[in-house]
Parts: sequence; structure tokens; C-alpha cells
Amino acid sequence: MRSSPPAEAGAASATQRTAAGGRSGIGRLVPRLPILGDLRLGRRLGWVIPVLIVLVAAIVGYNARAIDQQRGSALIVNTAARQRAFVERYTTDVLLVVDGFQADPEESAEDVREPVDVLLDGGSVRAPQGGGQRVEIPPASDRRVRLKLEQDRRLIDELIRTGDRLMDGGRRDPQYEANVTRLRVLSAQLSSVSNDAAREVTQVTEASLSRLVRIEIALGLLGVLAALALGLLLRRAGAEQAAQFRSLVNNSSDLITVLAPDGTIAYQSPSVQRLLGRRPADLVGTALGDLVHPDDRRDVSVSLTEVVEAASGATANFGCRLQHSDGSWRHVESICTNLADDPRVHGLVLNIRDVTEQAALRRSIGDLLHNLARRSQGLVDRQLELIDELERHEVDPDRLQELFRMDHLATRMRRNVENLIVLSGVDQRRRWSESVPLRDVVEAAVAEVEEYSRVQVVGIHDLTLAGQAASDVAHLLAELVENATSFSSPTTMVEVSGSPTGNGYVLEIEDHGIGMSDAELAEANRRLAAPLAADVAVSRMMGFHVVGRLAARHGIRVQLRPCWFGGVAALVLLPAVLVGSAGEHPAMAPPVPAGVMVSPEPLLLANTTQPGWQPRAHLPLRRHGAPAPNRDGDTDAAAEAGEPVE
Amino acid sequence: MAWTRARRRWAWALALVLAAFALAVPLTIARRQEPTPRGTPVNVLLEDFKVRPDAAVVPAGTVSLRIRNQGPTTHEFILVRTDLAPDKLTLQDDGLTVDEEADGIDLVDEAGGLDIDDRQTLVLDLAAGNYVMYCNLEGHYLGGMHAELTAR
Repeated sequence: MRSSPPAEAGAASATQRTAAGGRSGIGRLVPRLPILGDLRLGRRLGWVIPVLIVLVAAIVGYNARAIDQQRGSALIVNTAARQRAFVERYTTDVLLVVDGFQADPEESAEDVREPVDVLLDGGSVRAPQGGGQRVEIPPASDRRVRLKLEQDRRLIDELIRTGDRLMDGGRRDPQYEANVTRLRVLSAQLSSVSNDAAREVTQVTEASLSRLVRIEIALGLLGVLAALALGLLLRRAGAEQAAQFRSLVNNSSDLITVLAPDGTIAYQSPSVQRLLGRRPADLVGTALGDLVHPDDRRDVSVSLTEVVEAASGATANFGCRLQHSDGSWRHVESICTNLADDPRVHGLVLNIRDVTEQAALRRSIGDLLHNLARRSQGLVDRQLELIDELERHEVDPDRLQELFRMDHLATRMRRNVENLIVLSGVDQRRRWSESVPLRDVVEAAVAEVEEYSRVQVVGIHDLTLAGQAASDVAHLLAELVENATSFSSPTTMVEVSGSPTGNGYVLEIEDHGIGMSDAELAEANRRLAAPLAADVAVSRMMGFHVVGRLAARHGIRVQLRPCWFGGVAALVLLPAVLVGSAGEHPAMAPPVPAGVMVSPEPLLLANTTQPGWQPRAHLPLRRHGAPAPNRDGDTDAAAEAGEPVE
Repeated sequence: MAWTRARRRWAWALALVLAAFALAVPLTIARRQEPTPRGTPVNVLLEDFKVRPDAAVVPAGTVSLRIRNQGPTTHEFILVRTDLAPDKLTLQDDGLTVDEEADGIDLVDEAGGLDIDDRQTLVLDLAAGNYVMYCNLEGHYLGGMHAELTAR
């Protein structure tokens, strides 16, 4: 029974990894842009995005250039305007000096020279806003502007030479009047040329700005066109994707159902018409429970409640039957995802798959398995009866010992057959209506094991077990005890003990064997908690599956864990509803579905003297001698005849 | 040979480009050509600070003054009829520009705001008499930017 868990393929699909691959350049970049979300736009949009980027960059660049030009133009105009004042001051200073007053024409001359030099050659000049700040001016590039500034510089040179002549000659110079006139004329010419240069700069700047504005308008229009194209393509891509999704949903054989928080159907995919013969519009607003088979409603409710109470994005799987419009029932399996926090969904999304054919096939296989097993069971029972008869009349101890061995082997064969019946999914229902002593059940289980002599039963409390669970519990314990004896040394003992808990009674089967790895334990516990339908994997770990199924019938929990001294301990938690103290009757609770926790209930009175549960005074103990009582009372007769018994 | 759709499209594009050239070239040439002068042509060059006509005397009647500013700054061209000497025109109060409304001078025509390399042609019907051409921007006239023209 112990084996390594099958390796499960966990590798991600290669197609998923390469879904966005196979593109180059922009095509590779586009899907990664967050603004485009999940849209796979590919190369169709590849040209739009770089165009938009180039346009935006060009607009920004041209704007920066225009701003820079405006600033430079303002500086130049301001500098030219100041030059007129500097020229007038220089002229005044020269005349003052000639008349004998204190003045500094040299400084004024420098002030006159500096702006023109800077405008022509580039450099820093005092900022128009004052405050001692200086600003950098690039050299003028326009030919006309440069011509005018060069003329300005020539006139300044001549102005300063004239000023120097005036200051050198003074009033006594015969050329005094001519020089003064020349100074005034040059001053006027300088003003004229400076203004002309400033005007030229202004015109050039205006023309340049006008050109920039036109280019920017053109770029803006192109940007608008590109944005429109992008929008249209995005819309088209979105529409295509929506159509693809709609087509997938409409043509899928699965149902997509969205449940609102109140449990009503908020959306139903059209495939429901095919599966259940119902129109989606008729289902919207109705409760899902109305479609579910009454026997499955509890399971469905439990699963949905678990998902709702779990975190957003949590999923749960469950199976149930849904009613077709013609009244038949369809078996389905559903994956439920909690998307209540997703504003686009705001509910539970159920992906429902029709498994009616698989269920029918499984049932058919189960029936076949069950019928074959029942025939074998009848033959084995007859064989055991015969051995039992021989044992009663045998007096030779050696032959009796051999008969006992035959008896054990036949008993194991019968349990194997019963395992097949359990795995077939058909409830054997060989039950006692009254409670039986728990110790008797444990001892009967031990008696079914070949190496019973290595099993030590200790500390089982004086309790009773509900009759409807006695046979299954004995079978379950026998499987676990046999597993313990099989996977431990023949020289060691296997101990079966019991202890009460808050919500039932725990039986513990401890061995001192080779133990199990953590992975093996996890796999075995998974099989015990959620037994699968009969398949190849089940045949490999049949014992655990049988135990899991038997436990699931009665709400019993079975768990394996390592022992600190080596080996494995199997814990079997019998729920309180199945256990009663001696002299009390435990509640006759119906079988509890798998995975459902049973709430603790008070122990009830039990009658411990039931037919069919009379353990032998000597070993080996067997239960085949007396037909097991059941509700119908003809179980074994039917089995003996090779007929299936329900 | 049957033309494919793509080839026809290229042919249309080529035809359009050729048509655009055929239209643009004559227009450009026409724009660059100056109007045929009427009457007596006189070429007048303006420069800092001189006015240089290629003729000082012209026959009375229609005269085409083809003015060109050689720079290096902006100038204006003013033609007045006066018997005053070119350097004796009456100045305004600022002493820097000619008083164009003073007695003894009659404004004939003018061309303002001639930037570097600008050209302009004034076609005038000049009666016999003396004329003075000058630039009246600040300091330009006083800088010597004037010339005499006589119509006989």
C-alpha cells in the first residue's frame, strides 16, 4: 500500500511561454506597454507608436527651440535698445570732458562696444532685469543681422575715434565744430542702425517663430491623426478580442456562470441551451440551487460557502447534478472562482463541464466491478464455510494448523474482493441496526490479518460503535493493521490503542517499520482525504483508497503521521455520532458525506449484544461463519447465487 | 503589356509630380523676372551712406528708377523736386533729418523700408527740373546719403 507519489507534470506549457514570442522590434515591445493591457496588437500598431513618440519629441523640441529663440530675441532687442542710451551717454561724456567737466567717456565707450561685440561674437551680457546678473547670448547667425551689427561696430569705432579727436583738440581745435557735428551724426546713425538691427532680429525671430508654429501645427495634426489611428486600431483590436472571447464563450461546451452575491445567476453563457435545454435569459435571476439535485445541494452549498469565505481569487472544485429542461439529470464538474472583489465581475465564476457520459461510464465500470466481485465473494464465502467445517472436525493439530493458514488466506481473498466492491462505488450496505462493542470491532479487524499474533490491542475503552458503521470500520482497521504488519519487521509488534477526544474517539495503529518519507505521507494523506474514482492510480494504492472511501461514508477522518521512534502511526478519528458508551445507544445518524466535519454530540446508549458480532474465543477469528445480518436479510444468499446485492 | 494596379498607381504619382514641376517652374521664373522698365531706366544703388545713381541727367518724361539697397543697413529712398543743392536741404529741429514739408522742396515719390538686397522700381513722369534723391533715416542724410538728378 505504501508507495511513492506519482510524479506529476508541473512544467509550464511551452506554448504559454512563447505566446508573446516570435515577434521582433516594435512588435515585441508593444504588448509590454501597460496602457495596452492584454491586447495583442502586434505589428499593426508598431508604426503608430514610434510615429507618436517622434511627433511628441519633435513638438517638444520645437517648443524648446521657440522658447529659446523668444528669449534670445528679447535679449537682443533689449540690448539694442540700451545701446542707444549708451551712445547718448558717451556723446554727453565726451562733450562734458571737452567743456572741462568730470566724466568717464572710456567707460561709456566700453558700454557702447560690449553689446555689439557680444551680439556678434556671442558671450555674456548684463541681464535686462538688472541685479548684476549676466546672461549668455549666442552669436547672431542671420546674415542680414550680422551685416547690420558689423556696420554698427564700424560706426562705434568711428564714433569713439571722433570722440577722442574732440577730447584731444578741445574747443580750440579748428575742427571742433565739424567734429561735434560728426559726433552727433554718428550718434544718430548708430541709433538708426541699432534700431534697424533690433528690428531685423525681431523680424527674423518672428519669421522663425511663425515657421515653428506652422511646423508645430502640422506636427500636432499628424499627432492627432496618429492618435486617431491608434484609437481606431485599439478599438478594432479590442473588438476583435471581445468577439474572440464571445465566440469562445458561446461555442464552448463548458458553461460559464456568474453567481451574484445572493446566489442568483447574474450571467449565463449561451452553451446552457445545449447542455440543459434552457435559455440563458430564463436562468438569469434564478437561484443556482433550483437546478441542483436535492442530494447534491448540501455539497454545493458547502463548496460555495468555502469559496466565498476564502480570499479573493480562491477556487474550489465540486461535482453535482443539474436538471435538464426535460427533467433528466446531467452530471457536471465545476470549478468555482471567487471574483467578488473584481468590479468587472462582482461574483463567483463557475466553469461547469458536462461529465454525464464519464459518470455513466464510471458507473458502468463500477457495476461491472461490483458484479464480478460479488460473484467472487460468494465463492470465497462458500470456501470459508467449507474450511470452517473442516476445522471443526479436524483433530490432528498439524492439519488443523494448515487449515488455519488456508482460512487466513481465504479471509484475505475475501477482503480483497470487498475492496473491489468498495472501489466499485456501490454501497454494500451490510450493516447492523444496533450498536456493537468497539473492542469487538477492533479485534475482528485484527483477526482478519494474517500476522494477527504481532498485533497488540491495548487501552480500547468500553464503548460501542454505531451498527451501520461497524462493518466498514472493521474493514478500514483491517486494511490499516495489515499495512502496518506488512511494512514492519516480523520481529516487531503493531500496537492498536484508543483514546477519547473532544469530538469522538481516536484509534491509533502504530508500527515500528521502515516508515514513510514526508512526500509519501503527504500523498497518502491526500488519497485518504480525497479518494479518487477507480483508475490505474487507485489500483497502485488500493488500500489507501479503500480506507479513504470507507472513512468518507461515515465522516471518519484518517491520517498518517510519522512516529518519533520510527515507523508510522495511523490515526482514525471516529466522530462522536458513531460512538457511544457501553449501555447506551449511539445516534443512528445517516452516513456523513466525505470532508464534512461532524459536530460533537453526546454519547448515547448502546446495546452491545448483537448477532453477527460474536468474536471467536480462539484465533483465528472470522466473520464468514455466520451470515452478516442486514436490512434485507438475504445478502449472502444473493451473493452465493452470484447476483449483485444492493 | 497589361498594367497592374500598382504600376498604374506609380504612373499616376509620377504624372502628378511632373505636373507640379511644370506649374511651379514657370511661376518661379516669372516671379524672379523684373518688370520691363518703361521710359528711361536709371539704376540707383543705396549703401551706407551714399546714393549712387548711374545717371545724373535724364530726359524729362517717363523715368524708371530701379532702386537697390546694397546695405549693410536698411535705407529709404526719397525723391523731391527742389532747386536747393543736395546738401542744403532744410533740416528738422532735431538737426538730423530733412524737413520734407519745408518750403522749396516738393515730394515726388518715395520707397521706404528697403532692407539689404531689396529692390524696388519707381516709374515716374518727371517734368524738366532739378531733383534730389536721399535717405532720411536718422543721420543718413547728414552722413552724405544724397544725390542730384536733373530732368531735361
